[in-house]
Amino acid sequence: MVEESDAEFILSLRTDPVHARYLTHTDNNLQKQIEWIRAYKKREKKRQEYYFLFSDHDYQPLGVIRLYDITADTYTSGSWIIKPGCDEFVSIKSDLFISEFAASELKNKRCVFDVRKDNKKVLRFHKMFATITGEDELNYYFTIDEESVKRKVSFLISIIQPKT
Amino acid sequence: MNIEKFISEFADQFDDLDTSSFTAETLFKENDEWSSMTALSVIAMVDDVYAVRLTGDDIRNSKVIQDIYDIVLKKSNS
Repeated sequence: MVEESDAEFILSLRTDPVHARYLTHTDNNLQKQIEWIRAYKKREKKRQEYYFLFSDHDYQPLGVIRLYDITADTYTSGSWIIKPGCDEFVSIKSDLFISEFAASELKNKRCVFDVRKDNKKVLRFHKMFATITGEDELNYYFTIDEESVKRKVSFLISIIQPKT
Repeated sequence: MNIEKFISEFADQFDDLDTSSFTAETLFKENDEWSSMTALSVIAMVDDVYAVRLTGDDIRNSKVIQDIYDIVLKKSNS
């Protein structure tokens, strides 16, 4: 889980003008980021939110992904951002991890999330498994049920652990 | 399958890069936009258009677009 000591890394990702352009704006202010994480840790303690940082085998941070807005029926997956230049498997492994975590920790809940309309790469991927429930000028709104999550997990595993 | 069509579909996975000069011999990882997200997008495109499952190793071991095309062609014929 994300800790205050990760603030600088997260800030560097979220203020990258190219790679973070589809995320909610973040002020380039380290103290504010630390305070945000401090507040988040209280939500984490109450199991209201989970913010993960994933790293390589040498514990070098690679990216983050978050589960939030957890209600009785739904949760949202987002804040997904990966450091440029990573291995091709990183996006797959991080989504696989979050899908499996949600399947075990947030049972019987449906994932709802939004994707910016011009975030074409992520849109293409989500359209394979999730259903569009609405749209506005900025976003497409998706939902994905447990069965579709299972299909997605199976797809992702087949990419990183192909049958020989 | 047709390589020209494939190059165009492959190029569509890049949102910002000027891909007008893409050819079969383009080193597709050697640009600022290539990322693990682009790799996932390429895998999703190939699954959608060609019903072929690329693996992470297929992408990792490929350097030029022709390499990916050849893998898709081989898998679609098997």
